[in-house]
Amino acid sequence: MSTSIFRTVRNIYKSGLRRAGWQIQVHNDTKSGWLVGTDDFGNKFYETDHKDEIHLRTRWVEYSEWGIDMSKVEPGWHYWLGYGTDTPPNKVTGDEKTVRAYPLPERHHMNYTTTPGMFVTYNTAKPKTTAWTPEVKDRVEV
Amino acid sequence: MLRLTGRTALSAKPVSFASLAVSSNRFVSTKDLTPKPLQTDFPLISQQPNSSPLDYALTSLDVIANWARKSSFWPVTFGLACCAVEMMHVSTPRYDQDRLGIIFRASPRQSDIMIVAGTVTNKMAPALRQVFDQMPDPRWVISMGSCANGGGYYHYSYSVVRGCDRLVPVDVYVPGCPPTAEALMYGVFQLQKKMMKTKLTRLWYRK
Repeated sequence: MSTSIFRTVRNIYKSGLRRAGWQIQVHNDTKSGWLVGTDDFGNKFYETDHKDEIHLRTRWVEYSEWGIDMSKVEPGWHYWLGYGTDTPPNKVTGDEKTVRAYPLPERHHMNYTTTPGMFVTYNTAKPKTTAWTPEVKDRVEV
Repeated sequence: MLRLTGRTALSAKPVSFASLAVSSNRFVSTKDLTPKPLQTDFPLISQQPNSSPLDYALTSLDVIANWARKSSFWPVTFGLACCAVEMMHVSTPRYDQDRLGIIFRASPRQSDIMIVAGTVTNKMAPALRQVFDQMPDPRWVISMGSCANGGGYYHYSYSVVRGCDRLVPVDVYVPGCPPTAEALMYGVFQLQKKMMKTKLTRLWYRK
């Protein structure tokens, strides 16, 4: 993070007070750049090429909801955020798209650990015993 | 991801195994043979709503204590194998754990978290347990990598513990062989999330 006061003032001026306050709360920094794309969650991805920004801190995500969790970011965008590619997933067309043997789910799911939707392990072994439910038949008078 | 949706799990009746005799239907899912459908939709302790003013006050105190705990995250380095190299990467400038308040301590007496990074052998097991016992409460354990999670590649070895959860209670399992430094950091964040949800005063208050 460049600590130049001019950079901070410029970014606050560009983002507006409300968004800059949010950025300070979440990123501990002020950022301004252009919108590259939005994913299924509504997370917004930004990029900047301003000379004040230091190496590898030029791309960032602004989450649509409260709570920082990288698993909310789709894999393609995660790759772009980590500087794996310069082509964001919404610019990938035609042959550049990966053909997957097992297609991704329609909607990306976040990591549900510590939420009610979390994975709970279950037994897959066939039970060795079965419960006996007695069935008493009615007496038939002959 | 295989995930039981809670509603169906709760409403589903216990399967009668007589009707699922394998001879009558060879393609019975093993899931249907499970003795009891497990409840997954119960509210977690952290999600139980506050019921009284005292609850609200104590929850706020809990938040302060939890914030202090998760912000001074001092792990004892239990680097055992190649996972330890990835653990070192977390402390190097690219991931820079110091900015998160994570400082590796060489002494178990001064640390809160144990990161078990690598294969736990039978010979190392008593040492691991001793180090864990020397840590003061509250303490947490992150199991890092497949070997620590469940033996991994060495699961069938004669000299390897099949998962460090046989020795110490584990809070977060980080999968991978080895997990990337990024994955370990994500595990750290998950543990911090868990710390923030701890209700410290609940047990005291219930008395």
